[in-house]
Amino acid sequence: MQSWRRKSLWLALSASWLLVLLRVFPLLRLAVPARPRAGAPQGWPRWQDTELLQSFSQPGELPEDDPQPPPAPRGGSCDWGACFDVSKCRGGGLKVFAYPVAGPISDTQRGILASIESSGYGSVSPDEACLLLSLEAPAGECSPLPQQWNGGRNHLVLGLHSNFCPQTFQLGQAMVAKASPTVDTFRPGFDVALPLLPEAHPWRGGAPGQLGQHSPHPGVPLLALAEERGGWRTAGTESSACPRDGHCEQDHGPEQTHPGATLPNATFCLIPARHPDALHFLQALQAGCIPVLLSPRWELPFSEVIDWTKAAIVVDERLPFQVLAALREMPPTRVLALRQQTQFLWDAYFSSVEKVIHTTLEIIQDRIFGAPAHPSLLWNSPPGALLALPTFSTSPSDFPFYHLQRGSRPAGRFSALIWVGAPGQPPLKLIQAVAGSQHCTQILVLWGSEKPPPSRWPKTAVPLTVLAGQKKASDRFFPHRALSTDAILSLDAQSSLTTSEVDFAFVVWQSFPERMVGFLTWSHFWDEARGGWGHTAERANEFSMVLTSAAFYHRYYHTLFTHSLPKALRTLADEAPSCVDVLMNSLVAAVTKLPPIKVPYGKQRLEASPPLAPGGPDPQPPAQDCINQMAAEFGYMPLVSSRLRLDPVLFKDPVSVLRKKY
Amino acid sequence: MCASVKYNIRGPALIPRMKTKHRIYYITLFSVVLLGLIATGVFQFWPHSIESSSDWNVEKRSVRDVPVVRLPAGSPLPERGDLSCRMHTCFDVYRCGFNPKNKIKVYIYSLKKYVDESGVPVSNTISREYNELLTAISDSDYYTDDISRACLFVPSIDVLNQNTLRIKETAQALAQLSRWDRGTNHLLFNMLPGGPPDYNTALDVPRDRALLAGGGFSTWTYRQGYDVSIPVYSPLSVEVDLPEKGPGPRRYFLLSSQMAIHPEYREDLEALQAKHAESVLVLDKCTNLSEGVPWVRRRCREHQVYEYPQVLQEATFCVVLRGARLGQAALSDVLRAGCVPVIIADSYILPFSEVLDWKRASVVVPEEKLSDVYGILQGIPRRQIEEMQRQARWFWEAYFQSIKAIALATLQIINDRIYPYAALSYEEWNDPPTVKWSSVSNPLFLPLIPPQSQGFTAIVLTYDRVESLFRVITEVSKVPSLSKLLVVWNNQNKNPPEDSLWPKIRVPLKVVRTAENKLSNRFFPYDEIETEAVLAIDDDIIMLTSDELQFGYEVWREFPDRLVGYPGRLHLWDHEMSKWKYESEWTNEVSMVLTGAAFYHKYFNYLYTYKMPGDIKNWVDAHMNCEDIAMNFLVANVTGKAVIKVTPRKKFKCPECTAIDGLSLDQTHMVERSECINKFASVFGTMPLKVVEHRADPVLYKDDFPEKLKSFPNIGSL
Repeated sequence: MQSWRRKSLWLALSASWLLVLLRVFPLLRLAVPARPRAGAPQGWPRWQDTELLQSFSQPGELPEDDPQPPPAPRGGSCDWGACFDVSKCRGGGLKVFAYPVAGPISDTQRGILASIESSGYGSVSPDEACLLLSLEAPAGECSPLPQQWNGGRNHLVLGLHSNFCPQTFQLGQAMVAKASPTVDTFRPGFDVALPLLPEAHPWRGGAPGQLGQHSPHPGVPLLALAEERGGWRTAGTESSACPRDGHCEQDHGPEQTHPGATLPNATFCLIPARHPDALHFLQALQAGCIPVLLSPRWELPFSEVIDWTKAAIVVDERLPFQVLAALREMPPTRVLALRQQTQFLWDAYFSSVEKVIHTTLEIIQDRIFGAPAHPSLLWNSPPGALLALPTFSTSPSDFPFYHLQRGSRPAGRFSALIWVGAPGQPPLKLIQAVAGSQHCTQILVLWGSEKPPPSRWPKTAVPLTVLAGQKKASDRFFPHRALSTDAILSLDAQSSLTTSEVDFAFVVWQSFPERMVGFLTWSHFWDEARGGWGHTAERANEFSMVLTSAAFYHRYYHTLFTHSLPKALRTLADEAPSCVDVLMNSLVAAVTKLPPIKVPYGKQRLEASPPLAPGGPDPQPPAQDCINQMAAEFGYMPLVSSRLRLDPVLFKDPVSVLRKKY
Repeated sequence: MCASVKYNIRGPALIPRMKTKHRIYYITLFSVVLLGLIATGVFQFWPHSIESSSDWNVEKRSVRDVPVVRLPAGSPLPERGDLSCRMHTCFDVYRCGFNPKNKIKVYIYSLKKYVDESGVPVSNTISREYNELLTAISDSDYYTDDISRACLFVPSIDVLNQNTLRIKETAQALAQLSRWDRGTNHLLFNMLPGGPPDYNTALDVPRDRALLAGGGFSTWTYRQGYDVSIPVYSPLSVEVDLPEKGPGPRRYFLLSSQMAIHPEYREDLEALQAKHAESVLVLDKCTNLSEGVPWVRRRCREHQVYEYPQVLQEATFCVVLRGARLGQAALSDVLRAGCVPVIIADSYILPFSEVLDWKRASVVVPEEKLSDVYGILQGIPRRQIEEMQRQARWFWEAYFQSIKAIALATLQIINDRIYPYAALSYEEWNDPPTVKWSSVSNPLFLPLIPPQSQGFTAIVLTYDRVESLFRVITEVSKVPSLSKLLVVWNNQNKNPPEDSLWPKIRVPLKVVRTAENKLSNRFFPYDEIETEAVLAIDDDIIMLTSDELQFGYEVWREFPDRLVGYPGRLHLWDHEMSKWKYESEWTNEVSMVLTGAAFYHKYFNYLYTYKMPGDIKNWVDAHMNCEDIAMNFLVANVTGKAVIKVTPRKKFKCPECTAIDGLSLDQTHMVERSECINKFASVFGTMPLKVVEHRADPVLYKDDFPEKLKSFPNIGSL
């Protein structure tokens, strides 16, 4: 009994212990890891029957859509596919006819008409044109509808100023290109948003950007605020003075007003949302001041192609403190990129009426072109889409400008293009020297002489082709189909080069594929006495042109020379052959904004044969006019001077010749 | 816990008593058992119960068990939807307030089952895809469970497919959400809008100001900058395994694989096929398939059966025609196959068109030009087609392939609108990873020649060689364009000489004392640097003439994005050792310049100090060497350009060992420098240095020209 009792007692005791332990252990185990989990966000539940959930569409449903007949375009609203007849542009590409302006013609209108003509898209007949352009009267009064109106189909109504004929919005199928359209009426992909230009905007050339340096100067204030009267108010780095509505009060911080200054000098330019402030936008761009737009109600200019996130910041005016904090803390890398982009965009698309009009037409041309039009890269990086002709290529790698962005490198081959003018002797020695280069893949002889070309040419390692050239000097820069490489070595029959010189110059060109690399130089100068530009072949400490009688450059410049240079200038080149060098150098400088590159040239020959320049030893009288006419056509002087020459690393160094490559 | 302690106290007292009194003994026995039972019961219901319930919540709930909400017949309806809504008018940005991470917070309403007054459900509670979508948001950084801190609200009411819901009742369900407030800041996801017969291009459910992420918007219904256009998800994305096929020409030039095509359009396509029999393939539904074959995965041409979507990989271009709806799931399949979509759907807003550049991946053809499509496509250059194929596949991988990808891209777009200063760039959205890797975006890309008047700031790093330092200062101060001189005093144990002892020069001279003797101090972006151009110069470089320095500055102005320096060096690949080697001999090539004397843009100081990849900066400071090689790597990597070496080689007094006294240009030094190159190349993951064969000299250098007429006559002489 006793033992039974004792046994049952122990049994009960151990049973209850066991029970307690069983309960305590899981509790401990749970308590330790589970506590932090309980505090974490609960999240969307993981359903136990996820597998059983049905798909949002049943297998049959997607393809079983009822096929519907095509809907008619909705009245009043238009898009590109519905309201523009591309087939009219099939034959000759974009052709633009501008209706003559009724009544007195304004300066801006004259500028617009001239720009259309200079764009190369102009047409004299409304029947042949696929885009009909109607100019808005400047004061905002309505002009009568033109005759070929046809419901506005294939029409572009263009107005550079904001006061617009109210009738515009009943224009139906016509596209509207107007300054700073409001977001609500703008039809993306159909209308074109233009910048709001000041009254006195130059029609050609245009002032360059104001940015003198890449990064902001340390002393420059952080913010400038656009004022209603048209000026700018700058605020120091202490920008706590701006209350919620975006108006900065003047009672805090080191601020000052510049009533006279029209261009802001600050890192960021705050532009309020009101419509007239659109004018400030361009000022900020020109000044290299990053525009900070406080939720504008207007569409940004050319927003269809320009990636404004790279040059401006559109913020919500309702969060001014967050915006100011974000601006202050913006990493230098971003500030640097935004600043430079404002300048590039100003220079490429906005600085003159001509550029604005050309950009507008180019956008429409891109739409007509469809898929192979300008890629975004070409619109948004230097030198800009107006200078990267899609007729040349639509692939960025074919141009000289985008190797860095594409991670590519110019190919290691060049074509020599030898121009034989009257009276021509076959340049046998030159051909041998050039053919000796390992990089040379073909030699083209452009025979422009009266005499027929000789039937026998020296045997060379590379193929030699003779092209019958016309007698025009501009023919040298025609984009000949036979030119198969990116690099061209342009030569004259009189040029004399060694293989080593050619090799070195080519290797240098590979580092600077967008520039001209030449041996002989000219420089330009401002002639006070004559009140014009002049240029000289005299040797000097700086230069701005290299002679095309011996220079490497990219094949693309042939296309640009032939298709984008104003006709007047090309005629000029034909009349005064020495002008081609000035023109070609100006063209390349206008595109790159950089000087050409000079490489060393054997000095013995330099003295022995000075008349390397085409047109004789003294090119001055006709050429002086050439440079001035060129500057007039460009609207500014594009040439840039350089003070350096690129030599081989061991050039004239006191080491054994055997160690030198060149 | 408490219970077990109690037991321990009582236990020892019980045992001695049981021997004497039986009754007590039994009572004790029972009380012990009882105690155990109580303890069990307490644990069952008390602390443990909280833990288990939350466990349950996360893991084991069923969709069928969610709470039911009965909607009264007269409960309010939202307005139809405001077409004029824009972010600055209809979106309450204050809710997104200040957020240091520039990330919106998204709240998801909990799942309910909505029924009308008679108990009939309003819609399917939730579809598989919508559940996936909400899970993706919930797992992302955007998610918050705190409704008061949220900036964007996502209802759990599933409106992905309009056909599966009752429009009026769904709208009523939306209107009774706790923070609905006219739909402000609410985001709805819809992929299949409209219904028969006229198929609207946006969700028909009245939704007032709510944002709509919709598949199949047209220009008439899409609120630019407010709504988000999203793809129609293709369930085949997960069902079928389709390995990537590289770009290049394929068997068919043009393929149409959709089944429901309007007869008029099919006629046009058939005509194309008749005309270009070899290169065009127009497929249709299969009519005579045997039972059990999934007909969604088959397409037919007469009696030939093709597997879908595999057949898409056989074509260069694939037609994506609109059906009743503008958005087609076929677009996703086509992109996946690396086939360039030819989109024929007038006024269709392409998915994510706010940020994606569809010109790079597709061809849009107006419907009325369908019969010309062959000619239009023929006009596209081959290289461009290959790029489009690559781009199409990348778009699918990044933004189409899963519900998660679609959801996150949508939120990113809205996030970018709210925090535009932190938005992703065009390149980040559009460039495939291979392009992102190989491309360089030069931080100083604007072609610009800074004005000469700005001048440069010379920075001399010194430790204690005062005499030599003073000579350098005197020499450098003769350079016309010098605008300021900064001496970085790197010796913490010794004070710099008194002010009166320093050479008197015409420009401001500042001495900066450093906290630690580190080589990286020479590249610190000091506030005192006001010019863009910086000349880094060692305290023993006394052999450079004023002409040489001034010329170096002129060269820098023409190449402001490069390192412009005097002594040049080269890196070489050592084939025997299979690694990089440092070379300082007289070579025909240059890939580095020593920063013992070099001009560069001050921005690179910022990069060196704050953006140097990996542990290079610390490594340099620890080894007291190679800061110049690190700078060369950094600049070459970020600009993609080579250095410019200026003027002929001079006999520099041990330019290699300026920072470390007593170390000569011997073998160990060269080995160490080679080690640096190998180390940095591995950190950068590539060899960024560019080799060139040129150096810069004045235009008339060594030319036969009167010396006194030269701008920089005193060059290269010792």
